[in-house]
Amino acid sequence: MIKFENVSKKYGSNFAIEDVSFEIPEGEFVFLTGHSGAGKTTLIRLLLRDINPSCGQVLIEGRDIKTLKSREIPAYRRKLGVIFQDFKLLLDRTVYENVKLATEIDGRTTSEEEEKIKKALEGVDMLEKSNLFPRQLSGGEVQRAVIARVLVQEPKIILADEPTGNLDPVTARQIVGLLEDAVKEDKTTVLMATHNADIVDHLKHRVIHLESGKVASDDSKGKYITRFKT
Amino acid sequence: MINTAAKHIRRAPYQALTAVLIMTLTFFVATLLIVLAYSTSTLLKHYETSPQVIAYLKSNATTEQITTLQRSLESDTRVKKVSFVTREQAMEIYKQATAGNPLLSQYISPNVFPASLEFSIKNLNFAQGLIDEVTKELAIDEVAFTASLGSSQNLPKVVERLTRISNYIRIGGAASLSFLLLSSLLVLLVIIGMRISSRRDEIEILQLIGATPGFIRWPFILEGLFYSTAGALLGWILGFLAVLYASPALSSFFADIPFLPTDVPALLALLGIILGGELLLAIFLGAIGSLVAMKRYLKI
Repeated sequence: MIKFENVSKKYGSNFAIEDVSFEIPEGEFVFLTGHSGAGKTTLIRLLLRDINPSCGQVLIEGRDIKTLKSREIPAYRRKLGVIFQDFKLLLDRTVYENVKLATEIDGRTTSEEEEKIKKALEGVDMLEKSNLFPRQLSGGEVQRAVIARVLVQEPKIILADEPTGNLDPVTARQIVGLLEDAVKEDKTTVLMATHNADIVDHLKHRVIHLESGKVASDDSKGKYITRFKT
Repeated sequence: MINTAAKHIRRAPYQALTAVLIMTLTFFVATLLIVLAYSTSTLLKHYETSPQVIAYLKSNATTEQITTLQRSLESDTRVKKVSFVTREQAMEIYKQATAGNPLLSQYISPNVFPASLEFSIKNLNFAQGLIDEVTKELAIDEVAFTASLGSSQNLPKVVERLTRISNYIRIGGAASLSFLLLSSLLVLLVIIGMRISSRRDEIEILQLIGATPGFIRWPFILEGLFYSTAGALLGWILGFLAVLYASPALSSFFADIPFLPTDVPALLALLGIILGGELLLAIFLGAIGSLVAMKRYLKI
């Protein structure tokens, strides 16, 4: 599903990531860990096709995404669900309108889609607050709204960049729980960049650990959590 | 997309008001200038087509002399619409002209009025030469140019003045209108640019979740179109009201010269054509303003 082949990204003479290679099959939940500046966000931006690698290939379903034409990028991104630490909801739209946006950009506005939106909001326990604006919600609620938007998109891959960074531990676990449900129910592939050692430690998923832009470890059972913690 | 554009407008009402007001001013002036250009064109046409030259016949002119001169004028390519006006007809014309004060015509007999040959000229530039030729005819007592701006003595000045006024209105109007249109375009560009800058986060989010460039751009284009068309409509309404308000005063000044259509359907048709043209121009202006602003500020 996701394959990095000797991928490097240079800014000037500095490598943001260097010679990174790994593969993530469909339906796997993977944590991407590392200190600030280790290259996690660069890796997510490469997957979003926000930037191109300096060398190497990023393959999604076998296609090198560098070869995507500009006009193909929006359709490609609609296959991805993206979650950020700073939420990225439109502040002048209600929760419902924000979630609906995911279907509007795809030109899907049928009553069937309306049902999907309600179901997604119900799934993240936000249906009752769907008429509120993001500023009227807590951090956890906003992040749940973002997840509802992502779920409505029915993405094949969810990219989450520090989604629990602004949340308390309990809320953070609820959020990750919602992502785990997506993996179990829809075989969605999840790549979650995080600093949250407790969550990584607790969930025992595969961990790709970056250090100074390189893959320091890639462990399928979270064996290197102790090392990550340090 | 329409809802998004409406939301953008509601979120910054003062910017929206500024854009609409500038557009209104532009199209108000445009409406007045177009009506003025139409009026001067009508005025010029009136002088070109109305019987401008009256050749008064001597009282002893023979029928043969008059007939020969009339035929000679009718065959002249510079002349159109030659007519013979008898003394009685001349008196009728006088009576109609002084209908407001019957005392002026009460004790006057047709003998006071000379018979005449009246004719119009295809091009005002031919007037002076033709008048000189007709004046030399034996049957002719006096030749007058009926343009209300002067007599045969200052005919070149009349022609020159009319042409100059017409040119001033056309060139001056076009220059003023171009200046106003350019200003409006710049205002539109700045306001749409500000809108784009203030919605950077929203644009980024839309891009991240896979919105197409069209989905992101259309609300800005619709916003620009709204400002320009609303301004055009308001400007036209104000211009229409100004024309209606000024019409009675202008009518009395120009007397019987139809500087604007005299019947209501024709007047409405003229203003309708102006509105249609202005709306097309507004759509063009709004689209260009939005597109240039997006090219400058929206890199997607």
